[in-house]
Amino acid sequence: MARSLRTAAAALAALGLLTACGSGGSAGDSAKKTVITFWDNNAGPARTPLYQHLIDEFEKAHPGIEVKYVGVTSSEVAEKYNTAIAAGSTPDVGGVTTALLASLTAQKALVPLDERLAGSPLNGKLSAAMLETSKAAAGGKGLYQLPSSGNQDVIWYRADKFEEAGIGVPKTWDELFAAAAKLTDRSKNQYGFTIRGGAGSGFQVLAEAYAYSGLTEVFDANGKSTVDDPKNVELIARIAAQYKQTTPEADVSNAYPQMLAQFQANQVMMVHHNLGSTKDVRSALGDKAAGMLLPAGPNGTATLANPVDGFGVFKNSKHQDAAWTFLEYLDSHGANSYWNENAGQIPANTEAYADDWYVKSGITKRAGDALNSGKLVQPPVYLPQYSKITKTEAEPNFQKVLLGRMSPADFAKSVADALTKAQADYRAKNG
Amino acid sequence: MSADATRLPAARRGAARSVRATAVRDRTGRLLRLFLPLGLYLLFTLVPFYWMLLFALRPAGSTSLLPWPVTFEHFDTVWNGMGFRTYFTNSVLIAALTLVSVTFFALMGGYALARFAFRGRRAFMLALLCTQFVPGAMMLIPLFNVFQLLHLIDTRWSLVVAETVFQLPLAMILMSGFVKNVPVELEESAMVDGCGRLRAFLAVVLPLLRPGIVAVGSFAFIGSWNNFLFALMFLNDPELQTVPVGLQTTIGENTVDFGALAAGGVVAAVPVVLVFAFVQKYLVQGMSAGAVKG
Repeated sequence: MARSLRTAAAALAALGLLTACGSGGSAGDSAKKTVITFWDNNAGPARTPLYQHLIDEFEKAHPGIEVKYVGVTSSEVAEKYNTAIAAGSTPDVGGVTTALLASLTAQKALVPLDERLAGSPLNGKLSAAMLETSKAAAGGKGLYQLPSSGNQDVIWYRADKFEEAGIGVPKTWDELFAAAAKLTDRSKNQYGFTIRGGAGSGFQVLAEAYAYSGLTEVFDANGKSTVDDPKNVELIARIAAQYKQTTPEADVSNAYPQMLAQFQANQVMMVHHNLGSTKDVRSALGDKAAGMLLPAGPNGTATLANPVDGFGVFKNSKHQDAAWTFLEYLDSHGANSYWNENAGQIPANTEAYADDWYVKSGITKRAGDALNSGKLVQPPVYLPQYSKITKTEAEPNFQKVLLGRMSPADFAKSVADALTKAQADYRAKNG
Repeated sequence: MSADATRLPAARRGAARSVRATAVRDRTGRLLRLFLPLGLYLLFTLVPFYWMLLFALRPAGSTSLLPWPVTFEHFDTVWNGMGFRTYFTNSVLIAALTLVSVTFFALMGGYALARFAFRGRRAFMLALLCTQFVPGAMMLIPLFNVFQLLHLIDTRWSLVVAETVFQLPLAMILMSGFVKNVPVELEESAMVDGCGRLRAFLAVVLPLLRPGIVAVGSFAFIGSWNNFLFALMFLNDPELQTVPVGLQTTIGENTVDFGALAAGGVVAAVPVVLVFAFVQKYLVQGMSAGAVKG
């Protein structure tokens, strides 16, 4: 008897497991609704709750549409998109940065949005600079990304320490290096600056170089890259000379989290990152920290455009109208302002520029003004090899520069040659 | 010192002292040679776990090296706020089913490989071994297409099937080794006594395979529990997601919630630690089975 009971219990448990393993969920109300799937391309503790709030608000305003949120982290999103495209299983709407756009458009996964935007209430209300960056990132063949927020490089500095030392906010690279030297006290493990030598260093050092050289194009008229311009090389050499003098030795492998940890722990006084760290910096240091734009070089300054974040509608979507309605909502004044205020980014919706939070945001507004100034240098993210060149190849080489195993000129030339070749290939294929 | 001892001849007292000194030297030597390196290794191994516990239990922003005052806010955040309650249940279900599935098929396949001489057996085993060289990422798209045809995408079954398929080759090879270590004469005796092959297997071989079953089952459970790639690719519905994918969402591009990450890490580690704590005896038996032929 006991054995029978045990057998019956085991069978029931197995049945329970089997039942529980189904995908679950009943059609219920959702059968009457249009269900669209939205993949967030950078899910995390900071952004996911913002989207969840906005989706709730959207569903209240549009009871006929249900949005299924899928959070994908930025480190995995490219692989997830590529697999989904290859398998024909893409979402209706996806978060797309300009860095991802070349790959997605090359695979013809997205639909153009130009006509939809032209007929939308959003027309004329989105940042022209962000729209230009979006189009440039897709190779200038149309609008495949509806921009939602912009980001720019900034240097966070310890305002309290600058004040104690009687140093003004650097406006030029000379002033920045002088301030870094003055704030360095190696006996106390305190350094004026920090160099990003680990992941992400390729783009960062190029942003510094172009800010110094003032060059406004990454390619000249002949399609040759300007990365190895003598002025760019000069700044790369000056940055490398800071290593272990005004920066910690560990910088050679430090990426963003380590740099920010050093900044928060009073070990470094200036850290070059972007507006993505606004929330972290503010919550850790409050008013003790402030932000400045990248300083100018002898020829003025130029700003390398950061990736613009936004959304794309996927070609396989059976609900493209509902998907567009959702995007219109996300880029509307209220929703776009809410999202960017809380994420610490620059809104794409220009109506948000009059909002109180933005006007008083300090560095966010200054970075927004720079972004919208029309003087952005567009990095060639449309090149399929761009990521490989600036990350896989440039990052280890920059570490060699810091360690004195490669000259700054050779480093710049290696990046320039690779970009020039990639540009020539791109032109040959795309005209 | 006793009165008897004082009456011992000087030579014997000297010999006794020498024996004691040798014992002390041996103990010290053993301590330095064995326990000191082991202790250092243990410390080296445990520090990351301590660090994880420290971040999970101390308040956000604290720099204390001790988890004091203790707070469970991070556990509350991940368990209730970030959906780990659901992720945990999903992971348990998927890992348990994978365990059952892998163990069952490994038993069948392993037995066949060990007991039946058939044409191409060596080639088959070689093919099984070769499957281990194929990374999961390479199989993603074909698997995705197959699962889509079978309507398994966005179901937990996709993970159970994929994990079973990937773990089965090695599990079969391991299990065939365990079966080979059970003397075939025992089965033959049972069959002489009237058992059929299935009955002989169930009554005689299966109980002796317990260490092997536990070893293979544990690896299947842990492998499935830790799998990230398949869960990320085959599941979209947050209600179906698993712990490794949930853990990843505590890390943003520019923001890391270290408290939540550590608390999530503890949640992810607990089943693995429990599994090994309960089965380590069998695991050791399983690992060493057949190591010495007698």
